[in-house]
Amino acid sequence: MPALRLVRLHLASRRVTAALATVAACALTLHIALQWSWDTYGALQLPLILEVGCAAAIGITMGSPFGEPERATGRWLPLLRLGSAIAMTATAVAALALASIGAHLAGGIAEVVRNIAGLVGIGLLCALLLGGSLAWTGPVVYMLVGAYGLYTDWHPPTLTSPWIWPARPPHDLGAALCAAAVFAAGIAAATWRGARESP
Amino acid sequence: MTAHSGRVAGRTSGQWLALPPRLAAAGRLLRLELRRSAMLWMIPVAAALFWYNAFRESMAEPALWNLRAMTMQHGVLLDFAPPVVGAAAWMGSRDGRRHLLDLIATVPRPRWVTQLATWAAVTCWALVAYCCCVGVLYAETARQAHWGGPIWWPAIVGAAGIPALSAVGFAAGAWFPSRFTVPVVTVGAFFALGFSAQPRPPQWQVSPTIADSSFIGPDAGMGTFYHYLPDLAIAQVICLVGVAATALGAFGLLDRGSGRWLRGIASSMIVVGIAAVATAAGLAGTGRLDPHGMLVIPALHDAANNRPISYTPVCDQASIPICLNPAYAAYLADVRQALTPLLGELAGLPGAPRSVGQVAPLYAGPQTSGPSGTGVVINDGPHGGGPGQFDFVLPSQLPGEPGVGTSVGQFVRQIRQGAATDLLSGVVVGGGPGGETQAQRAVVAALTLDAGAAVSSRGVITPPADSAVGAAAQRFAALPASVRRTWLATHLTALRAGRITLAQLP
Repeated sequence: MPALRLVRLHLASRRVTAALATVAACALTLHIALQWSWDTYGALQLPLILEVGCAAAIGITMGSPFGEPERATGRWLPLLRLGSAIAMTATAVAALALASIGAHLAGGIAEVVRNIAGLVGIGLLCALLLGGSLAWTGPVVYMLVGAYGLYTDWHPPTLTSPWIWPARPPHDLGAALCAAAVFAAGIAAATWRGARESP
Repeated sequence: MTAHSGRVAGRTSGQWLALPPRLAAAGRLLRLELRRSAMLWMIPVAAALFWYNAFRESMAEPALWNLRAMTMQHGVLLDFAPPVVGAAAWMGSRDGRRHLLDLIATVPRPRWVTQLATWAAVTCWALVAYCCCVGVLYAETARQAHWGGPIWWPAIVGAAGIPALSAVGFAAGAWFPSRFTVPVVTVGAFFALGFSAQPRPPQWQVSPTIADSSFIGPDAGMGTFYHYLPDLAIAQVICLVGVAATALGAFGLLDRGSGRWLRGIASSMIVVGIAAVATAAGLAGTGRLDPHGMLVIPALHDAANNRPISYTPVCDQASIPICLNPAYAAYLADVRQALTPLLGELAGLPGAPRSVGQVAPLYAGPQTSGPSGTGVVINDGPHGGGPGQFDFVLPSQLPGEPGVGTSVGQFVRQIRQGAATDLLSGVVVGGGPGGETQAQRAVVAALTLDAGAAVSSRGVITPPADSAVGAAAQRFAALPASVRRTWLATHLTALRAGRITLAQLP
């Protein structure tokens, strides 16, 4: 079928296989790490670090090897970018949720969904601004912000901004809205423009 | 191509004239790489992360060198890991990403040597950034601290960590030149550092993010009365050098076109590096907590470091002066406020202290503290001040210290309640025969009540009011201060000798 072939070729050009391998590696690492003992904030920082790995991989898949010719001729490109970004995000959430089966995941699945959505949004926005190959920078820098935010929950003064959503409880509405807003902005950017072409 | 441009060649011919040709060429290569290093762009990111995490956290601690330096060591490599590893992996994968490997293979110089120059440039910029960041923190601490000097070992461990991080990132980038390598190795390095800082078997203390016993954390008593022990830091530096050597050797093995001797050197570096890491972990595993709160590694320990640090105490001007270690000079007023009610009860009595001093705390552990794990008990140190001198230990949590958030009021109460029993019993009971009598207990309880120190961390230290001792204590405490003092001045000697009964108390 031509549509399926188009999707397959689009995903192959974005190196989705490598991204999926990265997501799988993160899920496997999470599964193994959850068997070890962690202190309270370490247990919350652990999934965040691996969520960042997934989000960075998803952001990188926005990079196109074809550039202008693809833009000029690819009618379905926005839809393909939208679909692949959402599918990859859902895959990452599912992979980390599967990895936590049989172990205690601090924060639960709700926190995984919120954090991955927000981090993917940051990655997609970075892809738009810096290019696909540098899309990982945003999630990685935000990882430190979030990890330290979690740390301050036990070592005041606490960072309470909802924009540092990893530091907020899983059912915090403000944090969820901020993460959702960033995800929406990232998805819109990915759909509209994709990644900036690298020089 | 840039290396052969006229501008660079013209500049180098004069500048490197005095150096041997090989060294001059290496210098030129390093200079080129320094100009083109991605780490240059990462310096603001590293500085911002350092400010956000390690700097703010360290500066939130009271202005004591030990607290600031140990807190800095905990966070600094976590802050530098993402930018340094990321930049190094980016530079390491540069030739592969740009499909230049075949072109590079045609140059006369071994690829490993050129890669070493690229790695050295990343490391140089990262070290410059690190030194500036730590320098600002230390300069600010020097401005605020009342006493003492920089504790360099935590900074040295961090500095040794920078080449190790960049070597790991560079090796990963060189081996796997993919766009996914950089984020994976960056997140992986951060994960590994964070993972190693968690409570683990003692061998994990070799992690460069650990500056002290994981059962205590940074504590004001460490490195203040006794020297800061470098044992653990030395083991950590050995480990980091091993990691760097292993990673540098690993990307040396990539150069299949180089001679046998170069590959031999690379292989040797890997073997030596792994041996160093294993040795360092083994050494860290032999570490034990010494009474002064630091980790002693017998194979690395210098007995000269067991000597106490000499200092001139800071004293206030009062009839019974209070003297503290000068590092704690900022807390002298709080200590005076805490002890004034207790000293007021005893002023002028025979056996009352003529001065109050501070001693080092004693650390014992790790000890099991419930089902969840282990902890360390911080005890009073030896009270070696002699007759007329009362020595005490300041609480381990100082006001303003992040974490539990002890207020000045809580700090004052802790000192007062902690010192009450020892101070009052020392005067009222002394070394009397036959242990503490009921009358002595009642008087101590009454003075404790009157000084507002009736409850200590060890619980209620006054006897129940419905007991005979409690009732006598309440009665004695209710007397006017002048009456109580007059009675004590007259009868304290008899009371200490055990010749006063409960019924004879007014």
